Amino acid sequence: MKKYNRYLIVAISILFFASCEVEEGANLNGASTSSISTDLSRGELINASAGVFAAMRTQLTLQTDTQSVIGREYWRFQASEPRYTADLLTANLDSNTFYTTNPYTARYANIKNINLILEGLANSTADFSDAEAASTRGVMNTIKAHELLMVSNQMFQNGMRINVVDEDNLGPFVSYDEALAAISSLLADASNDLNAAAGTTIPFTVILGNDAFSTPSGFATFTSAIRARVEAYRGNYGEVSNALNNSFLNIGGDLTNGAYHVFSLTGADIPNGLAVGINTTSGNARVAHPSFVQDILPGDTRISKVGARDESITLDNLTGNFGMNIYISNIDPVAIIRNEELVLLSAEANYQTNPVAAVAAIDAVRTAAGLTPYTGATDPASLLNEILFQKRYSLFGEGGHRWIDLRRFGRLDQLPLDRAGDQVAMMFPIPENENQ
Amino acid sequence: MKQKNSRIRTILTLLLFFPCILIAQTSLSGKITDKSGMSVPFVNVVEKGTTNGTTTNMDGDFTLAVPNLPTTLVFSSLGFETQEYNAVNGSSITLTMAESAQALEEVVITGLATSVKRSNSANAVSQVSAEELTGTTANQTLDGALQGKIAGALVTKSSGAPGGGISIRLRGVTSINGNSQPLYIVDGVYVNNSSIAGAGLNFISGAAAGGNASSQDNPSNRIADLNPDDIESIEILKGASAAAIYGSRGAAGVVIITTKKGKAGKTKITFKQDVGFNSIINYRGVRDFNFDRAESLGEGNGQLYLNALNEGRLVDYEREIFGEKGFINNTAVSVSGGKEGTLYYAAFTNNEEDGIVKNTGYNKKTIRLNIDHKFLDDRAKVSINSNYVNSVGDRGFFNNDNTGTTIGVALTSTVPWAILQPDENGVYPNNQFAASNPLQTRDLITNRETVNRFTVGGSLEYDIFKYDNSSLKAILNGGVDFFSLQTRAIFPKELQFQDQRNDPTNLNGVSAIGDSNNKDANYAAFLVHNISTDNNINFTSQAGVTKQTFSQSTERIIASDLIGSEFNIDQGANVNVNQVRFEQEDFGFFVQEEINYQDKLIGTLGVRGDKSSNNGDANEFFFFPKGSLAINLNKFGFWNDNSAVNRFKLRAAYGEAGNFAPNGALFTGYINSLIGGNVGIVVPGTLGDPTIQPERQKEFETGVDAGFFNNRIGLEVTYYIKTVEDLVLQANNEPSSGFPFRFANAGELQNKGIEATLNVAVVESDNFTYDTSVLFFRNRSEITRLDVDPFNTGGFGTGLGTFRIEEGQSVTQIVGRDVDGDGGTVKIGDAEPDFQLSWSNNLRYKNLTLAFLWHWKKGGDNINLSNLLFDFGGVTGDYDDFTLDPSGELANGPYRLDRFGAGDARPFVEDASYIRLREIGLYYNFSDTILRTAFGGYVSNIKVGASANNLINIFDYNSYDPEVSNFGSNGLSTGVEVTPFPSSKRIMFSLAVDF
Repeated sequence: MKKYNRYLIVAISILFFASCEVEEGANLNGASTSSISTDLSRGELINASAGVFAAMRTQLTLQTDTQSVIGREYWRFQASEPRYTADLLTANLDSNTFYTTNPYTARYANIKNINLILEGLANSTADFSDAEAASTRGVMNTIKAHELLMVSNQMFQNGMRINVVDEDNLGPFVSYDEALAAISSLLADASNDLNAAAGTTIPFTVILGNDAFSTPSGFATFTSAIRARVEAYRGNYGEVSNALNNSFLNIGGDLTNGAYHVFSLTGADIPNGLAVGINTTSGNARVAHPSFVQDILPGDTRISKVGARDESITLDNLTGNFGMNIYISNIDPVAIIRNEELVLLSAEANYQTNPVAAVAAIDAVRTAAGLTPYTGATDPASLLNEILFQKRYSLFGEGGHRWIDLRRFGRLDQLPLDRAGDQVAMMFPIPENENQ
Repeated sequence: MKQKNSRIRTILTLLLFFPCILIAQTSLSGKITDKSGMSVPFVNVVEKGTTNGTTTNMDGDFTLAVPNLPTTLVFSSLGFETQEYNAVNGSSITLTMAESAQALEEVVITGLATSVKRSNSANAVSQVSAEELTGTTANQTLDGALQGKIAGALVTKSSGAPGGGISIRLRGVTSINGNSQPLYIVDGVYVNNSSIAGAGLNFISGAAAGGNASSQDNPSNRIADLNPDDIESIEILKGASAAAIYGSRGAAGVVIITTKKGKAGKTKITFKQDVGFNSIINYRGVRDFNFDRAESLGEGNGQLYLNALNEGRLVDYEREIFGEKGFINNTAVSVSGGKEGTLYYAAFTNNEEDGIVKNTGYNKKTIRLNIDHKFLDDRAKVSINSNYVNSVGDRGFFNNDNTGTTIGVALTSTVPWAILQPDENGVYPNNQFAASNPLQTRDLITNRETVNRFTVGGSLEYDIFKYDNSSLKAILNGGVDFFSLQTRAIFPKELQFQDQRNDPTNLNGVSAIGDSNNKDANYAAFLVHNISTDNNINFTSQAGVTKQTFSQSTERIIASDLIGSEFNIDQGANVNVNQVRFEQEDFGFFVQEEINYQDKLIGTLGVRGDKSSNNGDANEFFFFPKGSLAINLNKFGFWNDNSAVNRFKLRAAYGEAGNFAPNGALFTGYINSLIGGNVGIVVPGTLGDPTIQPERQKEFETGVDAGFFNNRIGLEVTYYIKTVEDLVLQANNEPSSGFPFRFANAGELQNKGIEATLNVAVVESDNFTYDTSVLFFRNRSEITRLDVDPFNTGGFGTGLGTFRIEEGQSVTQIVGRDVDGDGGTVKIGDAEPDFQLSWSNNLRYKNLTLAFLWHWKKGGDNINLSNLLFDFGGVTGDYDDFTLDPSGELANGPYRLDRFGAGDARPFVEDASYIRLREIGLYYNFSDTILRTAFGGYVSNIKVGASANNLINIFDYNSYDPEVSNFGSNGLSTGVEVTPFPSSKRIMFSLAVDF
């Protein structure tokens, strides 16, 4: 009997301990995503929107580098990352390597940031006015359109997904043309929302390095500027002109005026990764493609975008004498879209139908660069050549414009090849993990 | 236990023979000592062929009445060889007991509170004794000292950086994204073995920026803090069949460490001093330059080369950096002893070791105090084990980077005619051939890990009752492991890659501090009940509860753009702060029943239940059952006493154990961001899964243990098959979803393998003994189910070779792009060794002992990217050799570059086989007579000798050492090499004195 009592004690004590409650675990290192999407408060909108502007810069350096390298604007030398001078110049692009996947992933991650805000806004129990909600949608959809456009620049005719709201049930891949159409329509919706909210205040800070965009109507000029770029890619020159009219285009005005990514070295902020010294070694350098200096017109002040190196630099059978000099410090801002591009877009919108307007726009750029006004032929073909030539120097190293522009005019074969076996890639492969 | 039982038996027998004692008056007495002259208590003294016996007291004395003379007495005690003594007259007997070679293999832990005789164990539990661990030579870290000594373990050093960084894989890969390192338990305390990346290195190197987010800073792992000299024995539970009792933390195996305890008797003082040095195992070599080859690196270099050649200024920078001989100085003092139920062991050690690179090194100081005390008429015992560790590691700046700044990467393009030496003012010239001057980096940077650690464990055992055939014991234990790890990185502004005159975007000096505070606590309570029936069936029942809590907080602060030559973190223009916290609480219970039928059949059944705050439902119990059976065929009388076979055991065991999902797998938590002074939140890269389940390992092992010729030959063969279900995978996800990865229970893997151990006492004579043992083991793994698409992990993409998780394939396969086929992936290697074999030998001739351990790892591939980086710099040692290109057209350097350009990773996958003389030691023990003459009895033993680690290394691998890991110790991706800190061999001279 005594023995059974002891077993009973054992059994009871085990049951007692077994009923001990363990507290549910919690994520100690950040807010959960569902806290935003289920009900967005005013305070959360301020943080979540700041995150959207911050995340526009994620992998910006890499996307700019890859597209500029393929467009033979500059070479990226990095001793420990040989693929900058291999895959990117031989067009042997891998669907599962950082240069393909990282920028792609970063853009969609920011689209997820935006979708969570839009979902949370729809579910919000906070006291957002209709105008505030509309302005929020307008800003967020504009940035979403910008991010989608960045993806379409990478994927081009491989197509892309547009509807990615539900991570467990993603929308289909659509063609390049359909993608641009969807982006254009998103921008149209954004403009409508911003116009509806005109005169009120956006309930968060717009961080585009320029106070002109901090009101709904001010921001709408940025929305239209992006739309002008999209319509130019689509070849809808009438729409380009319309969009430019609603944008911050100012022919003859400050060409650097525009929207910028801003950087700092403070805390969780990030530096401008595109900034690098002129004279760095092959361990870490951005070297201007020799054709930039060879082809530049005498007196063009845009020569200052490169700097002569003390010594030439060689890596992987590529030798250059000029380092990139667009960004002097690692907190210099990087343009998203600026007046110089808009001026050249207006030239492009007019080169077939209104040569006079086109030449006026070209001359605004030439004058600013210290060149004499354009005196060449004004037939569409000549004007297009001139526009593309000016765009090459005006937007040099600012995101791969040369590659994108030559590609849409079928002129990638005009890019110089430096080594036997080098080729120009048309587009990046769809990341392997998309399972397409 | 055994001793107590025999005491009871002794008392009984004494009572039984009381009448005889009255008749026969011959009384034998004597004293038993060990070879160092210490008295041995509790030795069983039995008159041979009878049940007449006694035990020695605390001072080793005994008295036994015998009916007749002459007679033979049998002396036996745990840990000593059994001896017989022929007593012909009544004179006092003094006997020296020899320590048993298998002393520590006597018992095997099978329950959280119990152990069984090794001969009754149903699992192949590896044991490493103090002698095996440190007796041949002193290793820098505990895990390093295990290399080649455990069947079934793949022990890989991540780099040669001082202070450790070692991965142990028991019976193959057990988890892909979860923890794959074993659980360490020291004297009942769960001790933490995290590898915590410090602050600042990645900020400079940008290693994780390019594509792989894994830590490439090469932090050390915290088991390095333990002092191998304090360890009495190590038991290794290699899989779930043995480790099921550890439940949800047991899947990767459990390493149970017992530290030294005091022995009753005279106070024993030991003093040990090693001095020695280390040096690089193997240089990669530098390209054999001439004018044309130099000129090919850039116009004008040919002339620079010739000038330097003529002026005798060519420098082999590899030797300049790695050519140091690091000084080793280890001192250990221990004092142990005790009496009347109180035993103590106190030890102090100081280990100092410089690295083969200037300004690197490791210094560890440890203090240990273990106390055991018996009270309440020996019914209760309390033990306290405490350990303080202070270690400082200066680890240099190596491995992968994306900025050309690590010493390793800088060397890949630095040519012999580069001018890097500082001028008379101490100013270093810029390296024209790399982003950093490796001599300057070596001399000016600080990368230091400082650990302060306090571990204390206590236990209380109480015999509630104890009868002839049954007993009940209660055991309470608890322990706390607390450490603070401070990492300090200082990159002064004078550095080539910090100086803003070289590049205005340089950071102008970086100072970083990382502080990690860790507290793990565990508590347990058990009841153990023992009952023997009349027909000699023994039942051992145990039940208990356990609770563990874990908390860790790591804060990293990085300051850049420093003021003057100040390094305090407030002395910079920009400060970057980050904090990561982790907390977990586990609760479990455990019941086990063990049935022993006359040592013939030994069966065990048990179950553990665990719940944890790290599971989706914190209060859901997960159950981990176990069961085993051992059959000692030699006990059934099939073989007679003269048979060659004296031991033959068949055994089989099954068990299940768990492994938690990685920290944070349950959640999708925002990450903080900052832009223009506006704080914000952004989505993380990995989608969490709130329904995630822990991984579950199911292991079955079976084997045979046999002893021949009175155990002069011992053979142990084990086959195991283990399946890991519900693999928690950080699997690829469609990146357009916003989350390129997601956690999911999405696969199953299997490991199968065999392990064989052969021990032979080849020669056993008074003057000469020779023992040898061979371990052979192999493992094969396969992903048997994968619910997500195949994915790459732990590498730099298919173009450079990467690991790939794919159904039907080996878990550790290495794939590359199928350049001859459709451009998909194709298997080009496997990190799993074909087999491993180690051969240890102990020879003793009179007072001279020689021990050595060979270790052969056959097969297993590495991804060696160092070669490719050196090829880019045009300085690889074999650049101009013709050994790789099958067509013979291209020299090795151009061939690798050509293959790289074609996206063909095959030349970067290399066989990482090696044969090493892991340890060798030659020692001389001064004889008792010399010691008595010289020191008059104050000194009981003096041992002098020389020893070495990795003295001979044979491999065909084209770099410093095939044992390397760019991604540190956890996970799948050991064996990726990117310009590591080279590993070294060590030679030491030792003196040990026992007082």
